[in-house]
Amino acid sequence: MSSILVKNEAKLGLKLVAPAVGIIGLLVIYPILFNIYLSFFDVQLNGDKTFVGLDNYTDLLGNPRYYHSVGVSIVYLIGTVIGTTVLGLAAAVLMNQEFRFRNLARGLILLPYFAPVISVVFGWQFIFDPVNGIYNHVVVDVLHLTDTRENLIGNPDSALFVVILFDIWKHFPIAYLLLLAKLQSVPKDLYEAAAIDGQNAWGRFWHVTLPELRFVIATVVLLRIIWNLNRFEDVYLLAPNVETLPIFTYYQAFAGIVDQGGAAAISVIQLLVLVGLIWLYVRKVLKW
Amino acid sequence: MKKSLLVASAVLVNGFLISPLSNAATVEFWTAQTQSDRLQTIELLASTFEALNDGVTVKVVGVDENEMATQMAAAVAAGTTPQLIEVNSEIIMALGEEGIVDTKTHQGVINDIGKQRFHKGALTTLTSPTGNYYGLPYHGWIQGIWYRKDWFDEKGLAAPNTWENIETAAKALTDKANNQYGILVGTKQDSYTEQVFTQLALSNNAAEFDAKGKLIFNSPATLETINYYKELAKYNPPGPQNWRARDYYLQGKMGMFFYSTYIMDDLALAEVAKGSLSSENFKELSGGTFDPELVKNTAFAPIISHKSAASYGTLSGLVALKTKSAADAKATKDFIEFMYDPASYITFLHMAPGGMNPMLKGIAEDSAYLDDPNGVFKLYGADKMKQIVSGFDDIRSFSVVKGKTFPASGAIFAKSVIPRMIYDVTIENEDPQQALDSAEAEMKTIMGK
Repeated sequence: MSSILVKNEAKLGLKLVAPAVGIIGLLVIYPILFNIYLSFFDVQLNGDKTFVGLDNYTDLLGNPRYYHSVGVSIVYLIGTVIGTTVLGLAAAVLMNQEFRFRNLARGLILLPYFAPVISVVFGWQFIFDPVNGIYNHVVVDVLHLTDTRENLIGNPDSALFVVILFDIWKHFPIAYLLLLAKLQSVPKDLYEAAAIDGQNAWGRFWHVTLPELRFVIATVVLLRIIWNLNRFEDVYLLAPNVETLPIFTYYQAFAGIVDQGGAAAISVIQLLVLVGLIWLYVRKVLKW
Repeated sequence: MKKSLLVASAVLVNGFLISPLSNAATVEFWTAQTQSDRLQTIELLASTFEALNDGVTVKVVGVDENEMATQMAAAVAAGTTPQLIEVNSEIIMALGEEGIVDTKTHQGVINDIGKQRFHKGALTTLTSPTGNYYGLPYHGWIQGIWYRKDWFDEKGLAAPNTWENIETAAKALTDKANNQYGILVGTKQDSYTEQVFTQLALSNNAAEFDAKGKLIFNSPATLETINYYKELAKYNPPGPQNWRARDYYLQGKMGMFFYSTYIMDDLALAEVAKGSLSSENFKELSGGTFDPELVKNTAFAPIISHKSAASYGTLSGLVALKTKSAADAKATKDFIEFMYDPASYITFLHMAPGGMNPMLKGIAEDSAYLDDPNGVFKLYGADKMKQIVSGFDDIRSFSVVKGKTFPASGAIFAKSVIPRMIYDVTIENEDPQQALDSAEAEMKTIMGK
């Protein structure tokens, strides 16, 4: 009798998850499989396909620009992830203190995150315009720090750092928001106990705040990695010559006439890289 | 039942209600004219056509020229291909090779209008290797160097019509400490860079293809052009630049710049706006000396000579795309012919007097054409206009060699191979020969597909 009950329950369970499985299958699994399939073809716009085997992959892996963009992406990822997390943490600790106009300050910090990308990108471009921008005006004409006007956003040596700076400025509020929420729930008596044990402010931060925040910080880092590995619009709009992986993919596959086979091959590799990275991070760093 | 299902799905697919008349047809028209005032003019033409043709809906969509190929690819893949687009000849040739262009409609329009009425060079530019028309020439521009005549005279410089003259003048007019720049050449990875490079390359007899269609881009002549380009880029405003930097010219911070005849409109507008833009309003900006006499002090050098004389221009055309609906195809053909009707044609061309020049003979002499609303043609004089339009009998470009067309050039253009090469050399300081080698390799990959 009990076995019938278990069987019936299993059937009901299957029925209940069926819609979710169906939707995920249709919207996630099918596109991934179709994408893998396409990566072995040369696809014309009118739908004609020619089987080319591994050509799309060998073209890609034989392209030096690809490895260059992997390098740029790694620098971009490390810079932005560390930058947003540290700045977000600092802002959260600061905003957790009592002071006048604290609520106002808490709200103002969020502004860069809310502002539309395109408008702040234009703002940054105007600021750094080599001929008319306020940055060069102040540095060259007012402070006389140097004679040469720099195009910081256009110059490939500095562009990557401007893009990293932009991302940190634009996205640290989300790290701040998540961390502040957790900070507010840290019990006060932990700090009191630490103070009785003779810990100064730094010791209290190191031994109480950080361990309490560990999982939130880990989540922030994970989210930032996923977002920024695929980040396109900020980089492309601000400095299209910074070739991170998504920008490389765009130039390679989507600029001009779309090379659907090639694009599929790139995204298959990118998916593998992302899955591998996340697996490594979750198992080795987070130890979940 | 089946019919109602069809209608319902048609409504779903199109996102709006189609009038249930039997001759109902839709022309979705993508235009590269994205400025709102130009879109308004095109909307007006579309409404006029709708009023004349019962049951036909014309939907005008503005698509940025640099995005056109990508957007088209997405639309074709999604099954929402527009019926008609207006875009530059390079992209037309690339799309033509993809097998989505309705060459029959084009042939029909040419038969109706008369082949001999089109400028010959313009029509050749859009002809496929097998003799089909991938598009219909609609308007075109000529590129050249626009320069401050008064500054040239002051310093005793010769007009920038040879390589030597250009370089000498660029050097003489650059004063970076005072925020003054000698010249603007494109160094960003976009089409402006290719346009500037092409004119210089043609004047040095460098080409992409020979008459047999063999790729001959990697040549001493091309290398020489790249080295020269790199020299000129030294006198550019700092960092990667594209056509937007022409604003520095309008602000009096640049001596000369490569630009199409489109600037005539902007210069004329600057003339109109001179009341509000005076040096006094901008005295805070270093170098900024706005010249109220800018039109008078600007001269145009359309031909650059080195090993040969090269004038460079390009044209935009109308392209009908394959559609399953015969009614839509018919309406598209009618709409194209309406757009060539002198009244609507001149209305369209007047959106950018001087920039958009007619591709049909006889229009430029039309008194209605010469009487544009901004008075641009009066400002420049009828003779100058006639001289510009006559250039279209012999437009030179990479894709046409001795009367034969090589559409692969369009695919290479669409992939920005040349602009990226120039960017690598001028901004990333890559070795010119190395950059040329990789550009050639990329061109071969594109042609192999």
